[in-house]
Amino acid sequence: MFKTIKSKFLVWTFVMLAVLMLAFVSYIGIFRMKMKQLMIQNYGNSINAFVQQLDDKVIRAVDNSKDLALLGSLYYKTDRSIPLTNKSIIKLFENYENSLGGGIWFEPYVVNKNQKRNCFYVYRNKNGKLILDEDFASDEYDYHNQGWYKQIMSQIDKKHDTAWSLPYYENQGSETMMITVGTGIFDGDKLIGLSTVDWELNTIFEEIKEMKPLEKGFNMYVQKGKIKDSFSLFASKKDNYIITTDDPNLDNNALVGKTLDNIPWYKDNLYYITYFDYNGKTYVPFVRNTINGMLLIINIPKSEMFKDIDKFVFNMFIVMAFLGIFIPILVYAGLNRYIINPIDKLTLFVKQIGKGEDVKIKIEKPTEFKQLASTFDKMTSDIKAITKEKEKINSELTIAKSIQTSSLPSTFPAFPNVKEFDIYASMEPAKEVGGDFYDYYFIDKNNNFMFLIADVSGKGVPAALFMMTTKTLINNLSQIGYEPKELIKIINKKVCENNKEGLFVTMFSGIVNIKTGKTYFVNCGHNKPLIKHQNGKYEYLELDNNMPLGVFEDTEFSIYETELKKGDIIFTYTDGITEAINPENEMYGENKLETSLNNIETDNINEIALRVKQNLKEYTKEAPQSDDITILCFKYNGEQKMNIKTYKDIAKRENYKPFCNWLHSSLKEFGVNKELFNKIDMCSEEIFANISFYAYGENEGEIEVSAQKTDNEIILKFEDSGIAYNPLEKPDPDITLPPMERPLGGLGIYMVKNMAKDVTYERNDNKNKLILIFEIL
Amino acid sequence: MEINLNRTGIFTLNVYAKGRLDLDSAVEYGQKITDFIYDSDEEIKELVLDFSEITFISSYGLKVILELYKKMKETEGSLKIKGVSEEIKKSFNLVGFNKFLALD
Repeated sequence: MFKTIKSKFLVWTFVMLAVLMLAFVSYIGIFRMKMKQLMIQNYGNSINAFVQQLDDKVIRAVDNSKDLALLGSLYYKTDRSIPLTNKSIIKLFENYENSLGGGIWFEPYVVNKNQKRNCFYVYRNKNGKLILDEDFASDEYDYHNQGWYKQIMSQIDKKHDTAWSLPYYENQGSETMMITVGTGIFDGDKLIGLSTVDWELNTIFEEIKEMKPLEKGFNMYVQKGKIKDSFSLFASKKDNYIITTDDPNLDNNALVGKTLDNIPWYKDNLYYITYFDYNGKTYVPFVRNTINGMLLIINIPKSEMFKDIDKFVFNMFIVMAFLGIFIPILVYAGLNRYIINPIDKLTLFVKQIGKGEDVKIKIEKPTEFKQLASTFDKMTSDIKAITKEKEKINSELTIAKSIQTSSLPSTFPAFPNVKEFDIYASMEPAKEVGGDFYDYYFIDKNNNFMFLIADVSGKGVPAALFMMTTKTLINNLSQIGYEPKELIKIINKKVCENNKEGLFVTMFSGIVNIKTGKTYFVNCGHNKPLIKHQNGKYEYLELDNNMPLGVFEDTEFSIYETELKKGDIIFTYTDGITEAINPENEMYGENKLETSLNNIETDNINEIALRVKQNLKEYTKEAPQSDDITILCFKYNGEQKMNIKTYKDIAKRENYKPFCNWLHSSLKEFGVNKELFNKIDMCSEEIFANISFYAYGENEGEIEVSAQKTDNEIILKFEDSGIAYNPLEKPDPDITLPPMERPLGGLGIYMVKNMAKDVTYERNDNKNKLILIFEIL
Repeated sequence: MEINLNRTGIFTLNVYAKGRLDLDSAVEYGQKITDFIYDSDEEIKELVLDFSEITFISSYGLKVILELYKKMKETEGSLKIKGVSEEIKKSFNLVGFNKFLALD
């Protein structure tokens, strides 16, 4: 599955994409967190500005109370000479538009020894008008015992001249949520009274409600800490109190007294974000202290606050997902277009070219594949040219091989009228031109017959050429008349002289006197031949093995002398037989050859050679033939008794009768049966007539006829010195023609060819020699 | 060679011969028959060759037989050979004469 470029490439793309995605996602994650922190910081800053705004108002209230305290102090120190008039106090308050009211309160009997309570109070009525109210000095109110007075007084000393009360609900005058700030009035170190400024929290809340950086969420104004004294409505022992909120879901009163323990306390430099879950929504709470000791909490909904950044991140993911889908598709498409398709095309073209189709590769896109395609085209034409060249060489080699093969004698029986021996040889060449050869001939007129089988080392043209020269050389030298021992020495010397290539020849050769059976064998490094005596078994002929021919010039050869007996068979071969291998790579070997020969029951040497080759073929099966397979088989039949009759006269028709008489008497003497007699009679007449009518034209010439009987044949030999004429070349008459269309001539030689077992024509010594062999059945 | 020619009917010629029909005798044999037919007043329509005493026929003999056969056919006559020995039949067979010769 993952064995194609396509799949590998896609897997790589996916892996790379996954790594990229992972990097991107982590980067986006960090980016998002950083952005959130930045946003929180940003919001924090604007919230700080709100707090500053709030604190400015608070400071104004403190300033108001300090101015009032100064007025009170002046009043006391000047011993009431600067009177505290309505006007002066009202005037003061006119500068502090947020203050609801305020007053100056002295300790008992400080201003006037006769007057316990001494105070001035101004408040704004519903129309915003400042009104001096002197009712607070009454006995009923007894301001010295009011909670706010005690609370503030207890917080003030020389070091801390200003103090805030806890928020409280004013139910006597304005009936609103109030908070009061007070400043001590000192006579030296002695605290002699207070100035107070009342603040209506509701007006502050209205402003707080507006303090929203996002216009969403809700704000809270909270009193923190334990309130010990109960001087107003909300006495409680809880730590934290929500004073107000603009959360529409929250009833102000219901919130009163609620603990805010679960609200995280934010500082500006937080590096993590904690959220506040409230009423099914998540908020980011910002909490700030105001200088009057209260807390401002601004809750911004998380979803709103991070809306933009979350949207951005979401968009980025969409883009990534889009890329994640489209990049592989693009890669896949590009891969197909520029790589896979050209490869498929190339594969197809190469297949077609492999089948021998004449196609040109077409790739339009100008990529490396176009280059490759043109290289392929070039290669194809080059290969074609090379193949053509090779074919030429091959055909030349085939011719060389056939020349080589045809240089070996291959007509059998080789000597039809010599009955002293039979010889048969064959060479099956391997694919390549090789160096096996054999040869045989009479080397003199004294019945000495030589046969040899040889193998030139190496293969190919050099071996073949060397084989041809060696064969010719041996033939020439053997005709000169050397003694066998001398002959082989001279052959070797001449082979050495002709051997520039360092080749050598293994050879087994025999010289047999066919009359006496006297025989010389020599083995020059060749495979051991097998010998079988009549009614015996084949055995390897163990001779002294000499050096191959062509190695050392001065080699002495060991010659083996023996006398062949009637029926002896010599079987020689080359290593193409023993070293032939079967499909299992096992060699045929000498043992199998010996066994195979001993299983052959006939003494007919043609048959023997055929059967050995057959057996070898069964062994090697389809395994290719790697070397020439050469066999030469020689059988000695012993001396033949001469049983020859001869006739010689002028060749003319009138002499047919005496010829006929001679023939008939000879045949009678040979004791041939009537049928054979008839055949020979017919054939002889034809040949006699041919010679008589045509051999000498107008002139006269002689005809010589010999008749010979062997064990199983009658051999007739006709000789004349007339013009060269081979009657066997005459085409056969068509004996299937209708009688009227049949020509009158040509019947005779047709009959001869059909009746004789063998007919051969030779032309030598300026004589036509026609030999007819008839088998005695 | 001993050759006897007998008219055994108005249109029939019976040829009796004894011995070998070969290079030595075939020409004479053929010539005698042809001459007879040629000299005859009445046209010979049937030629019967008596082979009962013919011991041997060579290619020259066969050639003469083919010649005679063709001659008879040309004049719309017929050739019949009787008393053919097995040996001679074999010779006829070998050259394909058995296909058209009427042998008894």
